Amino acid sequence: MAAATSGKVYFHVTPPVKAIPCLTPFGMKLETYLRITGIPYEPIYGRSMGPKGKIPWIEYNGEAMGDSGLILEFLNREKGVDLNKSLSDADKAVSRAFTKMVEENTYWGLTQYRWIDNFDKLQELFEIPWIAMLFMRRIRSNTKQKLMAHGIGRHSKDDLEGIIEKDLKAISTFLGAKPYLMGDEPTEVDAAVFGQLSEIVWTAPDSYLHRIVTVDCPNLLAYCNRIKDRYWPDWDQLTGNTNTNQ
Amino acid sequence: MSEFLGNAQGALAALYETLQASALLPVFTDPAQLSPGQAVLVAVSVLFVGTVLRNLWGGQRTNKVKLRAEFTPAINHPLIFFLGKVYYHAPPPVKAIPCLTPFGMKLETYLRMADIPYEPMYDWSIGPKGKIPWIEYNGEAMGDSGLIIEFLNREKGVDLNQSLSDADKAVSRAFTKMGEENTYWGGARYRWIDNFDTVHEVLEVSWIVKILGLLRPVRSTIRENMWAHGIGRHSRDEIEGIVEKDIKAVSTFLGAKPYLMGDEPTEADAAAFGQLSEVCFAFPGSYMERLVTVDCPNLQAYVNRMKNRYWPDWDELTSKTVPIS
Repeated sequence: MAAATSGKVYFHVTPPVKAIPCLTPFGMKLETYLRITGIPYEPIYGRSMGPKGKIPWIEYNGEAMGDSGLILEFLNREKGVDLNKSLSDADKAVSRAFTKMVEENTYWGLTQYRWIDNFDKLQELFEIPWIAMLFMRRIRSNTKQKLMAHGIGRHSKDDLEGIIEKDLKAISTFLGAKPYLMGDEPTEVDAAVFGQLSEIVWTAPDSYLHRIVTVDCPNLLAYCNRIKDRYWPDWDQLTGNTNTNQ
Repeated sequence: MSEFLGNAQGALAALYETLQASALLPVFTDPAQLSPGQAVLVAVSVLFVGTVLRNLWGGQRTNKVKLRAEFTPAINHPLIFFLGKVYYHAPPPVKAIPCLTPFGMKLETYLRMADIPYEPMYDWSIGPKGKIPWIEYNGEAMGDSGLIIEFLNREKGVDLNQSLSDADKAVSRAFTKMGEENTYWGGARYRWIDNFDTVHEVLEVSWIVKILGLLRPVRSTIRENMWAHGIGRHSRDEIEGIVEKDIKAVSTFLGAKPYLMGDEPTEADAAAFGQLSEVCFAFPGSYMERLVTVDCPNLQAYVNRMKNRYWPDWDELTSKTVPIS
């Protein structure tokens, strides 16, 4: 980065599309966290991968950092921020458990849907030309390997959908009538859960995932809209300026 | 992306002009005019471009990615099976622990908690999803400890979670998933990658296996799996930090309770005990063992509580082991 300002967070992620400001749930999570905490950041929209070969990633004081979870912990220490400070220790533990469930399990349900079952719609969603689909096919076959390596790809379609459905219903049950997962104010786990659920709500409209989050568990849809309205007031502006709208 | 398309158009235009200028255009318009040398050049170029395109297209790599339908279990069929009986397939006990896979410890603990009679078929056969443990029930093979537990709950009318509120059931699931989809990999990394030298001892494989390096492919597979999962991209310190936070979260949540969700054990305890028993008994000298025994003594007490209650035959099982040769 030429002339990087010290102490500034440069947030690297893929550019917004019509459907959603960020196509990766971990990007939605990290950016939502930055907005909840009020940490100023400069988005650098591009397709470069971070130091761990994944997105999103940040540059801070000339150093590149990857993994939304590790970045959150780092920024908490660096900026003296703690979204979880009102939580008891046991609640912090529950919060971590839900974060891990949604990121290490439920996430793969979305991945299976987007990259394998609904691959035909990927070009439209990603707003890329047909020639880029050649590369997407390679990523797709790579993704199949990842699903197998993780383990969840070994299940039949019904088994996998059943597993993901139970995850989503667990989140809905735990949320209940509360405005945010752990109570009246948003905490770190809300960034993580919103990250995953926002992708389901806005980028997977015809999926079983969408049906669960909007029809079967309407409190989840209300929760997503609550966080979107509060922390993404510029959603329409970001998604309205994408390639297909130019 | 519009500049990408512009560049592609520009590149194609430039290619056409180059072809025209180099008098190669007739090669494409009238191949009969080609000399043998030109024909070979064209054939090689077509092959090259075709290979590049094929790789970009990402064709089905069926030899690398085994599709679900291709799995056939190496079934160790009992000659006669009883209806309604659970035949439980898992690797045989070793000196360190009755079952080397945390999912085996989990499933067998569940069977004991739920009082479901089962017949252990100790072997190294792989189940229908390519993993262990697995069961055979009424002639059908089933894989995945979680799905097996759900099936047996329905089949046998069992519900270890019946006393829990819906919200507690949700928390229970979250902790189970954290332990099995996150913390588990810390153990895999420790056993198979960082501490590979002692895996032969723990698994009780003979020196021949060690000398010939027969377990090395397993190590490579685990490494690849961890990379694909994502957690393998972290440094060793980062992974240990992540696992430490997981374990401390379980300890904090357990607190002074006898079992994770309260006074009586529930399904989450089978899962947690599955992971933690490996840490306590099969990862000697590890940072994970230190966390569970020294830093979080309530976890050590919890593991012993589960062990004493549901594994009274632990010593008997682990003393009758037969080293793999």
